[in-house]
Amino acid sequence: MKNHRIYGMILRYMYYFKHSFDRISDTFYWPTLDLVMWGLTSVYAKSFMPQGSQIILVILSGIIFWIIIWRGQYEITVNLLEELWNRNLVNIFSSPLKFSEWVVSFIIVGVIKAIISFTFAVFMAFLLYKIKVFELGFYVIPFIISLLLTGWCVGFFVAGIILRFGSKLQTLAWSFVWVLGPFSAIYYPVSLLPEWAQIVSSALPTSYIFEGLREVIYSGRLDYSKLMMSFALNSVYLIFSLAFLKASFAKVLEKGLVKVY
Amino acid sequence: MDVLQVKNLTKKFGTFVAVDGISLDLREGEILGLLGPNGAGKTTTIQMMLGVLTPTSGMIRYFDKNFADHKEEILEQINFSSAYTNLPWRLTVRENLTYMSYLYDIADRKARLQKMIEIFRLKEILNLEIHALSAGEKTRVNLAKALLNFPKILLLDEPTASLDPEAAKFIREFLLSERNKFNLSVVFTSHNMPEVEEVCDRVIFINKGKIISDDTPQNLAKTIDISHVELNVADGLKRTIEFCRKQNMKYRLRGRNIVVDIKENKIPDFLKQLMNKGVNYEEISIEKPTLEDYFLQIAAVKSKK
Repeated sequence: MKNHRIYGMILRYMYYFKHSFDRISDTFYWPTLDLVMWGLTSVYAKSFMPQGSQIILVILSGIIFWIIIWRGQYEITVNLLEELWNRNLVNIFSSPLKFSEWVVSFIIVGVIKAIISFTFAVFMAFLLYKIKVFELGFYVIPFIISLLLTGWCVGFFVAGIILRFGSKLQTLAWSFVWVLGPFSAIYYPVSLLPEWAQIVSSALPTSYIFEGLREVIYSGRLDYSKLMMSFALNSVYLIFSLAFLKASFAKVLEKGLVKVY
Repeated sequence: MDVLQVKNLTKKFGTFVAVDGISLDLREGEILGLLGPNGAGKTTTIQMMLGVLTPTSGMIRYFDKNFADHKEEILEQINFSSAYTNLPWRLTVRENLTYMSYLYDIADRKARLQKMIEIFRLKEILNLEIHALSAGEKTRVNLAKALLNFPKILLLDEPTASLDPEAAKFIREFLLSERNKFNLSVVFTSHNMPEVEEVCDRVIFINKGKIISDDTPQNLAKTIDISHVELNVADGLKRTIEFCRKQNMKYRLRGRNIVVDIKENKIPDFLKQLMNKGVNYEEISIEKPTLEDYFLQIAAVKSKK
């Protein structure tokens, strides 16, 4: 891998970010809207609850931490779509750029954007509701890393599908990750789900992450088994999703990169 | 010395054979035209040479190295430009060239970018986004991109398509000067036959995925023995038309002029017969067969089949 090529692709996506109002609004508009709407709802709900309820923190931390998965996958899939819409795959892959370097550039851009969106959301949560997410302690950092990994898994999987079938399935870039939402126990415990949904939930790293985060909020204690389980599942999914993306790319090369859009 | 060798290259899409076992070579400093009717397999061949399409079978070698095994090293030394691919349209010219420059191992990127900006007269449009450029400007940016890495081989897929004559002339002159200065080798596809005759040292004709001829433009044109005789007829146009019809000669009218397609050795006899019929013409011009005639003949054979 050559750093200058990875840097070149990061530049390419950051230039696009600078010029695209859609992408700037994605980074700031939706997190703000979610925080305002769900924050106010949870403030209202808290008025019916006993003193010391953590409902606001639970809801807002759910929103803020979900941003990490969403951005992680979104940057991979939307940057891929950007190449398809521009028919730019031929330009970049007729250069010495390697597939692995391209993937690494997606990951780095995803991390940068996730940090921007996460920091912005943390700041807004403090500004609007005086909620300090990092008061939860540095326990949250391993969960953040695990969430990023989940975002990449989803991103690589969806990117593989889009590469194979083209931009006619582009809606998956925005919608697919939300399918995981109900099973991820973002705002409620897994035990609240029906039995069949709990089985699905047990196969998702996100359910362990959000359950673990809630435990930190309520007891200040980190459940290592949940954290390890999320990492283990993420490692397996990461290997499969990357292999799927690589296979999709090889399949597309048989058709020709010119014909993918 | 051959800088590119292609052996038995084949590409099948399902049962359709787009490229059917073609073999060709490109010499150092040579400009090779790859011609053929639409759908002949030219672009498919170029895509395989660029590594953006996997061949079904066959071998591509650059600089005596197998392309499949030395892709990264080889792609550092070649580049391409096509009228049919886009650069990211929301990025400015400067941004496009900057990020592309990082995809290559260029010693002094800033100096090279500056040089490209000067050569292709891009200073005025540097901060414009690609979608705001004219076709000619986009082609200049594409060519600047293609020259960024000091390529030893350039693959150009119809680089002058949809350009005005001045822009097309600039590109032809630029290619010839780069070849003369740096011994650049070029594979060039175009539908503009006079342009190919002007630029290419050698031409390969492809039809239905197969090479049907490989020679200099002049030699290929010579294989056609039909010349075009154009007469400005002062008196006897109807008689001339009648005579051509009877003799089964192909002709077309241009006002008072008639253009007759005729074998070169039959021209004296044709003119004598017209004189005998009392046809008076004020001007005569005889056009020798060109590469275009050769191309049209191939296209005609294709459509008959």
